[in-house]
Amino acid sequence: MGAAPASRDVTSYGMGLAAPLALFFLLFFVAPLLQLLWLSLHNDTAGLQWGLGQYLHFLTDPFSLGVLGSTLLLGAEVTAVCLVLGFPIAWLYQRVGPKLQTIIILIVLLPLLTSVVVRTFAWIVILGRQGIINATLQSLGIIDTPLKLLYTQFGVVIALAQVQMPLMTLPLITALGRIDPNLDDASCSLGAGSWRTFFRIVLPLSLPGIIAGCTLTYAAAITAFITQSLVGGGQMLFMPMYLYQQASTLQNWPFAAAISIIFLLAVLAVVSVFTTLGRMSRGYGGA
Amino acid sequence: MIMNRRSLLTTALTLGAMKAFPGLSYAQARPLVFATFTGSWEEAHKAVLVPAFRKANADAAIVLDPMLSVDQIAKVNAAKANPPIDVMLHDPGPALVAVGQDLVEPYPVEKSAYYKDLIAEAQEPMGPAPFFQVVGLTYNPEAVKTPPTSWADLWKPEFKGRVGITNLNSTLGTGWLVEIAKMRGGSEVNVDPGFKALEELKPNLAAVAANPGALATLFQQGQIDISPGNFNAIQILKARGVPVEFVAPKEGAIAFKTTIHIVKNSPNRELAFKLIEAALTPEVQTTLMNPPYLIVPTNSKVTMGGEIARVLAKDTAELKKKFVFQDWKKINEQRSAWIERFNREIKI
Repeated sequence: MGAAPASRDVTSYGMGLAAPLALFFLLFFVAPLLQLLWLSLHNDTAGLQWGLGQYLHFLTDPFSLGVLGSTLLLGAEVTAVCLVLGFPIAWLYQRVGPKLQTIIILIVLLPLLTSVVVRTFAWIVILGRQGIINATLQSLGIIDTPLKLLYTQFGVVIALAQVQMPLMTLPLITALGRIDPNLDDASCSLGAGSWRTFFRIVLPLSLPGIIAGCTLTYAAAITAFITQSLVGGGQMLFMPMYLYQQASTLQNWPFAAAISIIFLLAVLAVVSVFTTLGRMSRGYGGA
Repeated sequence: MIMNRRSLLTTALTLGAMKAFPGLSYAQARPLVFATFTGSWEEAHKAVLVPAFRKANADAAIVLDPMLSVDQIAKVNAAKANPPIDVMLHDPGPALVAVGQDLVEPYPVEKSAYYKDLIAEAQEPMGPAPFFQVVGLTYNPEAVKTPPTSWADLWKPEFKGRVGITNLNSTLGTGWLVEIAKMRGGSEVNVDPGFKALEELKPNLAAVAANPGALATLFQQGQIDISPGNFNAIQILKARGVPVEFVAPKEGAIAFKTTIHIVKNSPNRELAFKLIEAALTPEVQTTLMNPPYLIVPTNSKVTMGGEIARVLAKDTAELKKKFVFQDWKKINEQRSAWIERFNREIKI
């Protein structure tokens, strides 16, 4: 046993404690990912012939690119809805008494306590032809024939926004909680109106929370296989369903692997845009 | 031998791992694993087939591991030499894939006591068909007053925005498209007329469901009033009080063989054979034909009764007349191209 160094650098930490997790990741995440990459670099379904054919097929096919584009767009729409609806809730949370805070946090967390499948089926009941929305609108005499809500892009966005809402609200609550309430008062006493205070003080300071929330919501929304296929139906094709179709129904694993790699890179690109924005916001907040 | 702390730890970890992942130690007997389908299939097999098998085989150990056909194939493919499944259950498309990939053993026909009693269409040497699945027209009798009689009724203007179909991921969706193509002069190798017909169906289409199960829920929600549907699935919905009726169209109901196979290199070959034999017996098939299961039998010694006799066929002769079987070998050749085409063309 060697003696501990006399003067240990207190600003550095040993990596030993992270080793078990690192090993776990290496075995169950990095290794399968490499296998996926290896598989995607084959031109035939048996995986014998090397080549970039699968990638070429995807990237030169307008239909496949369309699926990728609509999936990324879907994520953006869901994220925007979550942000617009989630921000006021988080803002309210910081300004009410402890009792109401408990209620708000319960409401925010409640969706997380039921399974995604159950929540999605609830949305089928709500959006259906004889569902809650159509029945209400019809009984109020606003519409004559039921609106088509289920199996539309609108339906998918609304259902996904509800399902993923906690992922946006929770980081926002944390971020808004870190802002010193005196800053609001200071801004007001210096003559700024409520909107000016909001845009110049609250919004910039809550940017880290917004970025974190957007990243989580976005990643969850575009990969939500269950909600996408149940509310979107069989003719609305998004990347997870496209992947499933190729891998499972058609047993075309190399193409499915290439789709996953491309999807992964596209998502990484979007997430890195968010992170860059986050880094910029840190400079902004400190200025 | 010197025992130091490190080697002791290694040994302990290894032993621990063996305990935690028993699959690491290969040479051990495991119970017979039967990969049935999920849902009503699993219920029926757990309640009827498994007890019958255990009674005939001195309470032999058996495990049901329900999963989709494609998952069964993937699992067996990943460990061909030591498959984790002994008996597979397949729809016609995946069955041909499994046979083509050399994953199943020929059924020991000469040893079988029941194989010869199966109706001719169910006698498959690579794995017999103990059950049929039947696809016909499903409708909501509260909204559709005159029962439909033909596939062509789906195109009637009165069903504008009321028709549901599934995409081609499912056996039902693909089989139905082939049937529509045949109705308009096409065949298993030429589904162009089917796609043309789909194009004309668009004004009537209310939904393209991702799978047959999702289609069923659309009846419950009043989203659709008429669709192609699976006889069994409809009976289950009906039993739960959903207003649905099944009718065999005059062109013939589409029959899919559900085949059962012994997996190649199975360590439980003999028991696997016994399980399949049990599935072919008239006793098991009769029980499964009665409510609540209503599974169409394939053993010609079974006397048709109940709802099946009323809606489908009174005996094997009538069954042969009313059922349409499709050539899935030809369908499989082009299925991926059709799925691609469906993806592109069917947008509502």
